[in-house]
Amino acid sequence: MAVSWRSWLANEGVKHLCLLIWLSLNVLLFWKTFLLYNQGPEYYYIHQMLGISISGNCYPVQLYSQRRARPYEMRPFTFSGFKTVCATAMDGDNTVMGEDFLYNFFLFFCNSYLVGLCLSRASASVLNLNCSLILLPMCRTLLAYLRGSQKVPSRRTRRLLDKSKTLHITCGITICVFSGVHVAAHLMNALNFSVNYSENFLELNAARYQNEDPRKLLFTTVPGLTGVCMVVVLFLMVTASTYAIRVSNYDIFWYTHNLFFVFYMLLLLHVSGGLLKYQTNLDTHPPGCISLNQTQDQDIYSPEDFSEHFHGPLPEGFSKPEARNQKTLVKICLEEPKFQAHFPQTWIWISGPLCLYCAERLYRCIRSNKPVTIISVINHPSDVMELRMVKENFKARPGQYIILHCPSVSALENHPFTLTMCPTETKATFGVHFKVVGDWTERFRDLLLPPSSQDSEILPFIQSRNYPKLYIDGPFGSPFEESLNYEVSLCVAGGIGVTPFASILNTLLDDWKPYKLRRLYFIWVCRDIRSFQWFADLLCMLHNKFWQENRPDYVNIQLYLSQTDGIQKIIGEKYHTLNSRLIIGRPRWKLLFDEIAKCNRGKTVGVFCCGPSSISKTLHNLSNQSNSYGTKFEYNKESFS
Amino acid sequence: MGQIEWAMWANEQALASGLILITGGIVATAGRFTQWYFGAYSIAAGVLICLLEYPRGKRKKGSTMERCGQKYLTTVVKLFGPLTRNYYVRAVLHFLLSVPAGFLLATILGTVCLVIASVIYLLAAIRGEQWTPIEPKPKERPQVGGTIKQPPTNPPPRPPVEARKKPSVDEEEAASAGGPQVNPIPVTDEVV
Repeated sequence: MAVSWRSWLANEGVKHLCLLIWLSLNVLLFWKTFLLYNQGPEYYYIHQMLGISISGNCYPVQLYSQRRARPYEMRPFTFSGFKTVCATAMDGDNTVMGEDFLYNFFLFFCNSYLVGLCLSRASASVLNLNCSLILLPMCRTLLAYLRGSQKVPSRRTRRLLDKSKTLHITCGITICVFSGVHVAAHLMNALNFSVNYSENFLELNAARYQNEDPRKLLFTTVPGLTGVCMVVVLFLMVTASTYAIRVSNYDIFWYTHNLFFVFYMLLLLHVSGGLLKYQTNLDTHPPGCISLNQTQDQDIYSPEDFSEHFHGPLPEGFSKPEARNQKTLVKICLEEPKFQAHFPQTWIWISGPLCLYCAERLYRCIRSNKPVTIISVINHPSDVMELRMVKENFKARPGQYIILHCPSVSALENHPFTLTMCPTETKATFGVHFKVVGDWTERFRDLLLPPSSQDSEILPFIQSRNYPKLYIDGPFGSPFEESLNYEVSLCVAGGIGVTPFASILNTLLDDWKPYKLRRLYFIWVCRDIRSFQWFADLLCMLHNKFWQENRPDYVNIQLYLSQTDGIQKIIGEKYHTLNSRLIIGRPRWKLLFDEIAKCNRGKTVGVFCCGPSSISKTLHNLSNQSNSYGTKFEYNKESFS
Repeated sequence: MGQIEWAMWANEQALASGLILITGGIVATAGRFTQWYFGAYSIAAGVLICLLEYPRGKRKKGSTMERCGQKYLTTVVKLFGPLTRNYYVRAVLHFLLSVPAGFLLATILGTVCLVIASVIYLLAAIRGEQWTPIEPKPKERPQVGGTIKQPPTNPPPRPPVEARKKPSVDEEEAASAGGPQVNPIPVTDEVV
C-alpha cells in the first residue's frame, strides 16, 4: 500500500525538520568562518606571511619541485615560471588565456595557503557547535523532567526527545569527520609556517626559525600536543563505539566513552594556545597603507612594491602603480600593526553544556547515594527474577527506567532496567523484572537467592535474609510514557520487552480515570509459553477489574506463541481469560492494523513497540501507510543501541 | 571486566588505522612532498592492513556480526594458518608496518593509531585469544520422514486409526476443560 504523505509527515516530519535545521546551522557556520578568514582585513598580514614572502615569490605547497636542498624546503615559484609551465602544458599556445586571466590564476595558485588557514578555522567553528550540542542529549534527568512536565505541552515536541540518541550519534560522526579536516588543514599550516618563515613577521609565525621541522611544531607547542592527544582519545572512543562492539562487548564502549572528560579538558587547553593572531589597529594602520619611512624592511607593506618584486615583466592589462595611485585613496600608516591572539571562542561554546552535564552528574550521584531496601525477590520461569524495593522520596511515572548498581556484584558496572511497578500514593513499593542473560545478572541472582533454592518456586523461609546493598539511579524517561496520553494505544511487546507495558498495566489497575487513554490493544509475542506467567496474574486482575466496572472493551489482550512444537499448550489452568486469548503462530500485523483502524475511525492511535527490530520495522512501515478509515497511527520508539 | 574480548576492538582499530594510513599516503604522494615514497609505502601498508583485518573473527560466546562480503577474504586469510590466527604475530606485524610511516608528517597519525592497535592485539594475545574464521552454517536439509520414529509395534491386522487414537483425545479434552468461561458479572439480556 502506498505510503500516505500525511502519516509520513506526522511520523517523520518533525525529525527531518530538526535534521535540516542542524545541517543548515553547520553549513552557515562553516561558510561564514571561511569567508571571514579569507577576506577579513585583520588577516591581511597573516595571508602575506603564509603565502607571499619577502621576495614576492609564492610557495604553493602542492607544486611539484624537483630539487630539494633540505626537507620541507620548496623552490620559489614565480609568475614567469608559472607562465612557462602553462605554455608547455598547452603546447606553446599561450594566447588562449590572456595575461590577466593567467595572473589571477597564478594568484589563486599562490593562495593555496587559504586551504590550510581558512579550512582549519571553518572546521574548528563547526567542531565548536557539535562539541557543545553533543552533551545535551546525555543530560537524562533534564530530558526526563522535560518529558513529564507541562513545560512541553505539545506531544509532537515531546516525541522529539525520543531521538536524542540519534542526535548524539550524528554530532559524534560530524566531530570525527571535521576533526579529520581540521587536522589535515593544520598540518598544511604547520608546513607553511615553517617554509615561509621570515623576519618581518616574528609575532605571527609559530615557527621559531626557517624550515623548522613541522613535526617539532606539532609536538612542542601546546595546541599541537593537545591536538595530537585529542585525536588519539577520539580514535579510541570512536573505534569502541561501533555497533558490533556495543552489541558484543558493551564494557569496552562504556569505559572508553568515559574518556570524553579527558577530551574536553584537552580541548579547553588546545584553544588557549593563541597561535593565530589578528590585527587590532585597523583604523590606524589599514592594510596596504604606505609607511612614510620607507626602508627595506617595510617594503612589503606597500602593494605597489609588491608587483615590482615579480621576476619578469608586468603583465599588460594589470594596472600600473601610477594608475592605481590615481584611482585609489592612498592611506598612510600612522603606526605599526599590532597583533593579538583571539579570545578562545570555544570556551564560550562548550562551557554551558559542560557545566550543565557536570551538574546533572553531580545531582544523580547525590540522589543515588542512599541504598534501597529490598522487600522481596520472586523467581519466575524462563530465567526471570522480580525484585521489589522501597526508597524514600522516590517518584516514577509508568514507562520509566532505572539503573541498578550493586557494588557486591561489580564495582564499576551498572545496568538499566525498566520499572514494572511504579510507586503510587498508597503504595511506595516499586519493582523491576530482569532476565538473567549475562554475567552481571547471573551473579546478581546468586546473591539475591541462594542457588539451592532457585529451582523450586516456593522460597524457603530464612530467618535473616541478607540482601546485597543496591543503589539505583533514575528514574529516566522513555517514549512509553506517552501511551497513557493517547486516546487509543497499541502496545506490542516481544518477550521480556513487556516490562514497560507492565508498569502501564499496573497503573491502570490502580486507577485508570485520570488518564486520556480509553482503549488499549495489548499484543504480547513470546517463544515459550511459560513466559506468559510473568504477568498472567496482572492481566487477569486487570481484565476482571474492567469487567466489574462495566468497561470490558478497555483492554484488548492478544497473546501469541510464535514457536510451537505442535503440542497443545495452556498457560495455566486458572488463567481462563488468557487461555482463550492465546493464539499459536505469529501475529498478522496488516490485519491487526486494519481492524484497529476500522474500530477507531478518525482517531489517532499511538503505536509502541518494545521487542526485536524486525517487528519494530514492520510496525513503523505500517504506521506510515494510509487506510480508508481516516485513522492515524503515530509510531513511538526510542533508538537503543 | 572479566569477559571482554579485546581482539574485536583491536580489529576495529587496525581497520580504522589502515584507512587513515591510506588517506595520509594519498595526500603525501599527490602533493609530491619530499620523501613522497613514504607516502606510497603507507598506501600499500594501509591496503594490506585493511585486507587482513576486514574479516572479523568469531567470538567465543554468542553470535558474531559479519562484515558485508567478508567471506571471500576469510578464505584467503584462513590460508595463512597460524600466521593470521595468532595475535602475537599480528601485533608484531602492525608495529613493524607502522614505523616507516612515522617519518612523514602526513602519515604520522596513522602510525600512532596503528601502534595503539598493535598494543591492544598484544593484550588480546596475552589473554590467549585467537582468530577463528566465521564459517557459513551448513544448510540443514529438511529431513524427509523425520517424524517417523519407530516402526509400528502391532503386527497386522492393526485396528483402524480412530480406535488407536481414542484415549489421547479423551486426555486432551479433560486437561483443557477447566470448566466453561464464567463471567464475573451475571449477564442477562433485557427484553422489554
